[in-house]
Amino acid sequence: MRRVAVGVLLLICLGMAHVFLLENTSRAQRVLPQPQDSGYVLPGPLLRLIAGEFRGLAADIYFLKGLVTFGRTLEQRVEDAEKEQVWQQVFALLDAATDLDPYFFDPYYFANASLSRNPAMVPKINTMLEKGLYLRDWDWMLPFYLGFNHFYYLQDNVKASEYLMLGAQRPNAMPLLTTLAARLAYKGNRTENAIGFLRGILSKTEDEKTRELYQTRLEALEKIFYLERAVAYHLEQFGDEPKDLQALVRRGVIPEIPADPYGGSFFIADDGSIQSTSDLVYAKDGK
Amino acid sequence: MKAIWPLAVITFKEGIRNRAIYGIFLLALLLFAANFLICGMIMQEVGKVAVDIALSAVSFSGLLLVLFVGINLLAKDLDRRTIYMVLARPISRGQYIWGKFVGMTLLIFTAVASLGGCALLSIGSVRFAFPNYFPRFAWEPVLWALALIALMLVLLAALSFLFASFTTSSFVTLVLTVVSYFIGHGVSAIKALVEAPEAVGIEVSAATVRLVKAAYYMFPNLSLFDIKIQAAHNLEIPWTYLAGTIAYGLVYTIMIVFLAGLIFSRREFP
Repeated sequence: MRRVAVGVLLLICLGMAHVFLLENTSRAQRVLPQPQDSGYVLPGPLLRLIAGEFRGLAADIYFLKGLVTFGRTLEQRVEDAEKEQVWQQVFALLDAATDLDPYFFDPYYFANASLSRNPAMVPKINTMLEKGLYLRDWDWMLPFYLGFNHFYYLQDNVKASEYLMLGAQRPNAMPLLTTLAARLAYKGNRTENAIGFLRGILSKTEDEKTRELYQTRLEALEKIFYLERAVAYHLEQFGDEPKDLQALVRRGVIPEIPADPYGGSFFIADDGSIQSTSDLVYAKDGK
Repeated sequence: MKAIWPLAVITFKEGIRNRAIYGIFLLALLLFAANFLICGMIMQEVGKVAVDIALSAVSFSGLLLVLFVGINLLAKDLDRRTIYMVLARPISRGQYIWGKFVGMTLLIFTAVASLGGCALLSIGSVRFAFPNYFPRFAWEPVLWALALIALMLVLLAALSFLFASFTTSSFVTLVLTVVSYFIGHGVSAIKALVEAPEAVGIEVSAATVRLVKAAYYMFPNLSLFDIKIQAAHNLEIPWTYLAGTIAYGLVYTIMIVFLAGLIFSRREFP
């Protein structure tokens, strides 16, 4: 009985000593000079080799590591210089995750949502999104992100419309994508592209309401294209650009100026392109 | 076959009774439970991650089973000299190897079937919890992935038999099997790398290319059996690929066990 009591007492003492030492040593460890975490991530091909058959799992882990690293910037006050470094690190982790499994959507989604707040990162994010663009051929989100980034951050309407057109052709794509793509293609002076694209989409659209929407836009673009060709013809025949659209009618190039289906009226803008007072959207009171 | 079957049944029972199997199953169950926790942190493709974790857990547990239970089934007979008792019976050494191998195959199939059942249950329960985050999920590719994992483990077990047929200690067999596993999973990637080194900007000597090519034909290409990513994303897996991989696995396994039998029958015991 006494031996058991002594044993139990000894065990309690050892347990308390353990807790005491753990606390103290951990505190001492905090002031120990630590090597800085440089955030180096191994290159993709090497990671793939090391991960072997657990590539998918490794991609999940790298994605979660990226999330946690990004979370640090939200939790603590981080200096701008350090923030930049952390963002680069998050990008490297997410990029590694997509190297390991380029079909994995979450890293693309998170990189685009969180890192594009820093416009300097956008070209890098776009390169990353390109990785999954054709592999995930069922997904309209990646082309949509790329289109948005090109339109909003890089101000490249032509490229943006190309991505949106790609996205609009994918299954279950948001109907708005088609309108956006056609609008951007027109803004990037690619009226002919926009028309061809709308025709293609129309042939695949069954919903009556959506068809009507596209039909109107197609009609407007066809009229714009008609006027563009008339301006080009004018230049060829008379050696100068017409001052306004009325000049085309006066000189007999076209019988009359077509009406804008959106309710506006067409004019020649300062840059020489054909535009409408409606800007190709319905007026607020309907039509 | 008459001589092989009783030996196979004994080997299977011996394997099932091994305590290590409980540890391996406990680990697998923990991983399946972790599936829930991890999937809660995923934003969009929860289904993909659930399948990844479940299939990886089966594959990893199966690997532990082959390395720590399977190798002992044959090597223990050699280590403890109980092999003398078996060989004194009217059974050839080739039959002994085949009997042990059939028992091991039964053990692997049983283990993968029960681990696979747990894996499917774990995927199913995550799907029940997050039904909207399984946009591209299908059971069929997951089942194929499980079947190929089982075949890969049988092939690895065959390799361990080959190594056990000429080494004197089970530890050497373990090391050789682990090395073959890593080479088997990396060899096709390394072959692709040395055949087109300019893609990553390295220089490779002709001797290295020959060495890698030799390794490519000598070691099994285990990466063929890995369709976890395809299963997780429900990508198309052509039936020609599945048939080819199954045929490759069977041919390689039979060749290796046959070779192990040949070496073993010529082996001299002290």
